[in-house]
Amino acid sequence: MRIESEAGLRTLQAAGIQKLKPKQPRIAVGLATCGAAVGGRKVYESLREAIDRAGADIDLVTVGCIGYCREEPLVNITIPQKPLVILHRVSEADADEIVHSVMDDQVPEDKALCRVPSWDHVTGVVMQYGKGFANIPLYEDVPFFAPQRKVILRNAGFINPEEISEYFAIGGYAAAWKALHGMQPEAIIAEVEKSGLRGRGGAGFPTGLKWRITRDAPGGTDKYLICNGDEGDPGAYMNRNEMESDPHMLIEGMIIGAYAMGLKNGLIYIRSEYPLAIERLGTAIRQAREYGLLGDNIMGTGFSFDIRITRGAGAFVCGESTALVASIEGRTGRPHPRPPRLTDPEGGLFKKPSDLNNVETWCNVPAIVANGSGWYAALGAANNTGTKVFSLVGKVDRVGLVEVPLGTTITTIVFDAGNGGANGKKVKAVQTGGPSGGCIPLRLFDTPVDFESLNRAGTIMGSGGIVVMDEDTDMVDIARYFTGFATGESCGKCVPCREGLKHTLLLINRIQAGKATGKDLAILQEVCETIAATSLCGLGQTAPNPVLTTLSYFREEYEAKVRP
Amino acid sequence: MDSHVLDTLIARYEAEEGRLLGILSEIQEQEGYIPHDLLLMLSEKLGIRLSRLYSLVTFYSFFSLQPIGEHVITVCMGTACHVKGAEAVLAALEQHLGIEAGATQDGKFSVTTKDNQFTVTIARCFGACSIAPVLSVDGNLFGYATPENLPAILAGYGWREHAD
Amino acid sequence: MTHGSSEQNDVPEKPVIITINGRPCRAGKGETVLAVAIREGIPVPHLCHEESLAPYGACRLCLVEAGKPGKTEMTTACTLKAADGLEVITDTPQIVKHRSILFELYLAEAPKSEVIKEMAARYGVTKTRFLKKMETDDPLSEKCVLCGLCVRVCNEIMGAGAINFINRGPYTVVNTPFLEPSADCYGCGACVKVCPTHAVVMEEAGSERVMRSWSGTRVPLAACSCCGMYYAPRELAARTLAALDPHLDQDLAGLCPACRGKRIAEREILARQGGAGNHA
Repeated sequence: MRIESEAGLRTLQAAGIQKLKPKQPRIAVGLATCGAAVGGRKVYESLREAIDRAGADIDLVTVGCIGYCREEPLVNITIPQKPLVILHRVSEADADEIVHSVMDDQVPEDKALCRVPSWDHVTGVVMQYGKGFANIPLYEDVPFFAPQRKVILRNAGFINPEEISEYFAIGGYAAAWKALHGMQPEAIIAEVEKSGLRGRGGAGFPTGLKWRITRDAPGGTDKYLICNGDEGDPGAYMNRNEMESDPHMLIEGMIIGAYAMGLKNGLIYIRSEYPLAIERLGTAIRQAREYGLLGDNIMGTGFSFDIRITRGAGAFVCGESTALVASIEGRTGRPHPRPPRLTDPEGGLFKKPSDLNNVETWCNVPAIVANGSGWYAALGAANNTGTKVFSLVGKVDRVGLVEVPLGTTITTIVFDAGNGGANGKKVKAVQTGGPSGGCIPLRLFDTPVDFESLNRAGTIMGSGGIVVMDEDTDMVDIARYFTGFATGESCGKCVPCREGLKHTLLLINRIQAGKATGKDLAILQEVCETIAATSLCGLGQTAPNPVLTTLSYFREEYEAKVRP
Repeated sequence: MDSHVLDTLIARYEAEEGRLLGILSEIQEQEGYIPHDLLLMLSEKLGIRLSRLYSLVTFYSFFSLQPIGEHVITVCMGTACHVKGAEAVLAALEQHLGIEAGATQDGKFSVTTKDNQFTVTIARCFGACSIAPVLSVDGNLFGYATPENLPAILAGYGWREHAD
Repeated sequence: MTHGSSEQNDVPEKPVIITINGRPCRAGKGETVLAVAIREGIPVPHLCHEESLAPYGACRLCLVEAGKPGKTEMTTACTLKAADGLEVITDTPQIVKHRSILFELYLAEAPKSEVIKEMAARYGVTKTRFLKKMETDDPLSEKCVLCGLCVRVCNEIMGAGAINFINRGPYTVVNTPFLEPSADCYGCGACVKVCPTHAVVMEEAGSERVMRSWSGTRVPLAACSCCGMYYAPRELAARTLAALDPHLDQDLAGLCPACRGKRIAEREILARQGGAGNHA
């Protein structure tokens, strides 16, 4: 059925709430890729069997991931008039106990991580669950969640990503309705500009400005809107979770963006390593078409826009905009000099002006339209508004996805949310920004995480990976690891990146083998500076950052390995 | 895959966006690699020079020109996996399977056991960093992999210690 | 003056003047800074530039410092369009430093290339601190710097598409698919001509042209119907003839250039003699 009136949308929302908060209890298993891999799938199956065995009237569904990865598998229980309860580290052996407790309107409290009496889905709906279970800690009292502010991950872990009705339930597509029926395209762009939203792929370019340039470019409606889901940084997986846990959020953002820019072609470029994200987005796109949210005459407005999925084939460099376009066109991902940029007619996909934004950038858009730019601009810091999802991984105690306002310090993320080093080890540094980023030593952990402060520290925001190193981590090995990665992912077009990185790697290997001298350290520094200054594209220009930052902050570790 | 199946596959890609890599990806998935004769056939059917297709296949790491074994083990070499010991996992895997892994001449990483049972490859990141180190066997992800729990994982795919 | 009249026919445009190392230079519409420098005889090293191809920006040697006074940045001259008032400097200390490292990288990558050695020496770089590439049986004689000119000429100008890049990053090479003799190669030799380091090897072997660098691809040659000499790749000659308008008459089509010239001259003489005879 197509949505052609606001009342129709509200009817669908009411029906969705019946699924999210049914009359009978509901058990939801967190089944994003990582949850499934650590036993979530088996937990789901054994719960299915246990429910059937008991003949219980309980709904069993799949949800995405709330981001507390260390505690997976995670299971939510919704009993009418009671708070939603999140169970953690659930195993298949727990299935019968869970089902029997739920049949008595109880939960196994020893497995409970926290309770959620109500949840703000940010796009206009605060879901009220209920009272009770006073012995179980509140969500906001869980140290991992306490410093977090969920805007992008507003629905992740709560709704079934394969059911559009549950997205309707939390106010989904109401922002798109508001935009398409109540706002001029110019007004939407102005809102996004005023919100201060900057590209979440790493470069931090103002999103509204990019939309404006695309809108103003010649070409009528025959332009492209591309969502970059290539998430190539090793150690970063927030985009995967956003696509797997809440695909409609992304689609809604793209619809609003397409309307604002006045274009009809949408593409989501996803890396092949993310089969579940591809599957769930495919399902979501089909559902959105059925409801008239994609295709011709969207929501009865006469506006037409559709989205196709294209897959990457394994090349980190394809996160670079000109290489990404080359890949969609069926060519090798070798960047070309800019200008022309993607937004220029001669530089876009198939020579049509194209707008490229990261998955997470799109996810912010419905929240901005729903709540206004003022609300969004109040989040985060000056010129760095909003929240950002970080993947906190490596040798940190509490591994997971942490969403905090921009401007939050590294200390808050690593120590308050992450509880410092795993197994009681001392944290030594973090690496941000993946292979293009750098290492920040403990003494600079007061650095606020925003685009400019990270640059001043010699690293970048990148897509938001934060890899924690502890006292046992060999920083020269980290530099070697990233250089090896960048070397293997270099497209090979320009000499500083292709040859320079190869020799950087050879030099670090010499150092690791104890065969290097102080002279080699000098050459290492020189060649890295030249790679950074003279490479053709962003991959090459930033690839030496891991070496340059470790040379600057952990020079003693290099010096200890070289002969005088 | 014969000529007819390839025609059907090509026909499914109506839109130009992502067409070529999409078709090649499906060949890779269905055949396990990109066979020489299929690439030639594709070149003729699409009217695209073989040199360009070959360039694509050797550029993107998702494609392989070598036939693969019965089971494909992919070890994640992402940052989180690296700091948590992925290299030790890979080394143990090599030892158990009696292979020596390493970059092949084309810079890709794919080694198959003599009995054709296992192919070992690496991935740059599965995005499953929270359960590092990670490996996948035939697409099934295994988190918290260690040299110690490898035999149990491998045994699920027909591997026996001292099989030789 | 013909020069003056042609200018009057053009839409009048403000001339674009840029300065290179303080010297004012006139630039054509859409011309790159590198093209201007080459025309003006100002030395800017480059390897991947070819006038008939789009700017590529891969060799990174043509670095210049350019911009408006007080606000300049280092960039490649081959990708920089000349704009009025642009100030360009070709040898800042920063450029010298980075260019020297790039030359060291080239010396390690193509250790057998005399062209690279000479070019590097002109800029004061005579040895490399990097490990030199050692490869036995390199079809490109350890001289290739992957500037991509052969690939681009083969694909974009000749339309043959016989060769392309293979692999990526430091493993990148140029060759034919599957490293097998190519059926798409015309044997035109444009790759040989365009290669800045003389890395591509081609030789004639009787009735065939052998592309040594391209997996030993053999291309049959056409023999002159008069002198019997092999003079051009057979298919390429046929294609060229077929594309001529008006067609070359049958009598001349099978001849090598030398015999063709001779035959045309003979005809001219015969015709004149015939004409003279009439007058007599």
